[in-house]
Amino acid sequence: MDIRIIEESVFKTLMILSLTTVIGSLLVVIGVILWRGLPVLTLDMITKTAEGGYYLGTGGGILNAIVGSLYLAVGGTALAFIISVGIAFYLQNEYSGGTRLASMTRLSLDILWGTPSIVYGAFGFMVLMQLNMRASLLGGIIVLTLLEIPIMTRAMEEVIKTVPQELKEVSYSLGATRLETSIKVVAKQAFPGMITGVLIAFGRGIGDAASILFTAGYTDRIPGSLFDATASLPLAVFFQLGTPLPQVQQKAYASAVILLIIILIISITTRLIGKKYTKYIIR
Amino acid sequence: MSDTHINIQDFNTYYSGHQALKNISVDIPKNQITAIIGPSGCGKSTLLKCMNRLIDLTDGATCSGKILIDGEDIFDKKTDITDIRKKMGLLAQKPTPLPMSIYENVAYGPRIHGTRKKSKLDAVVEKYLTMVGLWEEVKDRLDSPASKLSIGQQQRLCLARGLAVEPEIILCDEPTSALDPLSSQHIEEQLLRLKKDYTIVIVTHNIHQAMRLADYVVHLYLGELVEHGLASEVFENPKEERTRAYIDGTFFTDLAIDKEINLKGNVCPYNFVYAKQALHTLEKDDVLRIIVDYPTAVTEVPRGMETDGHNVIRVKQINESDWEIIIQKK
Ligand SMILES: Nc1ncnc2c1ncn2[C@@H]1O[C@H](COP(=O)(O)OP(=O)(O)OP(=O)(O)O)[C@@H](O)[C@H]1O
Ligand SMILES: [Mg+2]
Repeated sequence: MDIRIIEESVFKTLMILSLTTVIGSLLVVIGVILWRGLPVLTLDMITKTAEGGYYLGTGGGILNAIVGSLYLAVGGTALAFIISVGIAFYLQNEYSGGTRLASMTRLSLDILWGTPSIVYGAFGFMVLMQLNMRASLLGGIIVLTLLEIPIMTRAMEEVIKTVPQELKEVSYSLGATRLETSIKVVAKQAFPGMITGVLIAFGRGIGDAASILFTAGYTDRIPGSLFDATASLPLAVFFQLGTPLPQVQQKAYASAVILLIIILIISITTRLIGKKYTKYIIR
Repeated sequence: MSDTHINIQDFNTYYSGHQALKNISVDIPKNQITAIIGPSGCGKSTLLKCMNRLIDLTDGATCSGKILIDGEDIFDKKTDITDIRKKMGLLAQKPTPLPMSIYENVAYGPRIHGTRKKSKLDAVVEKYLTMVGLWEEVKDRLDSPASKLSIGQQQRLCLARGLAVEPEIILCDEPTSALDPLSSQHIEEQLLRLKKDYTIVIVTHNIHQAMRLADYVVHLYLGELVEHGLASEVFENPKEERTRAYIDGTFFTDLAIDKEINLKGNVCPYNFVYAKQALHTLEKDDVLRIIVDYPTAVTEVPRGMETDGHNVIRVKQINESDWEIIIQKK
């Protein structure tokens, strides 16, 4: 047989194998979590906070963790967004023009991106100690902000970079300033991609356990202020799986299901928003 | 001759060391159509980009000399660049609508220059879309994306968008090269109609288009100004031999062909490989003529040769099936 045809079929088999690995593992993960989690996911579970202590308490649900996680991730994502948009636009050529500062910024972001989140956690913990503060919602939000900035900025920068030079030239040629061009043309064209960046960062933030372990703490209650400690879903999984009591372990699977659902909702919303706002995009 | 609108004095442009414009001095007359002609890579677009200082956006580009518009030096530090650009509409080679609706595309310029009132904007949009003959076609779908229009309509929209900032000058860089013949004709008619109110500078590869439109002609070659003058004189009786040659489409007959190869019947990438081998046997500045009949080769061979740093002098169809590609070794 022709060697090229053999090559072709070998390559094809390899591709199918890797595809099945990806899709297969996704299905297995979702399947196992749902299989263990769905039976225990009662209404009480998502409408009641934990009772009898989060470590050994068998009563109540995980509302404290759900609300805590949303507070943390929404807060962190909002702060990270404000900062990232600025950096991402600054990194465009028109503003930073290939300066040292720009490449230093990129390098720092890449290093931050690669930093393990437990390191953020440890850092945050030390800062809190220095300031004589306890683990709190605010501490968790700040650490998540730091964690999300590099992800969001780099994602946004990549999309902004793909905005065609001609579009900017048109805007400038009509007498627009850099800022007007950035806001009215570049941001519009890049909007769906930027939203994707925000949601990827949100997903990373809501799922991270290590960084908030020491900074946000854990509690049975829903935090009443920024300075209260707060529970979170990833830590709920972490603590509850570690208990010797099967009833509490079950709660861990319920937490995992909720986390999974939130992530799914985010991914799907991303797609939908992307579709809706691509109407005017120039290709 | 009528008044000068754009006065270019001893102008030079460098792209990180490579000089793209050499000592250009020319006056562009008011309310006339000036055509900039010349072979590919001679600096036509560069000159245009300098006139509205879009060249500022190019990394590593530097300019020296002066360009005066209405007597005002546009490269002067004190000059407000947005004011300069507001005076000029730009029509690019590829229609480039902004990522917004048809209405917003036209309203974009007036909005950033301070027109806020809806009724005023409506009037502006209608006025300029009518002026470019697009109003009837789009008045029922002003809110739909501009990118949904046909290419020809998009180019007219771009013209309307440029006119809406009420410029005095319209700069066009091969505005019809991406369009079908009918749309091209449409644009040409618009330009002829507009010239009583606007100074128009058009870069074109198409010598016939230049003849149809231009009152004044500027001929560039390898960054140098070869000749400029009234269209009637330049086209009928060019002073420079190089201009005559360019107009006759026989620009390089005086350049001896040092080697000729026939690559008919070859497909890519063999075309390219053989052409490269042939070039290898030549000295620097020697000229090679290749004949090909494989459609992809017509674009790919010149592109590859340019990437290798050689000078593609001409790509021209010589009969039904064959093309000639003339390359100067660098
Ligand atoms: N951004 C750039 N960086 C470096 N060199 C450039 C750049 N733009 C153009 N050049 C070079 O400057 C010279 C003039 O380019 P220009 O685009 O002005 O030519 P042109 O006459 O418009 O050609 P064409 O008819 O193909 O559009 C060319 O040699 C080109 O390679
Ligand atoms: Mg050009």
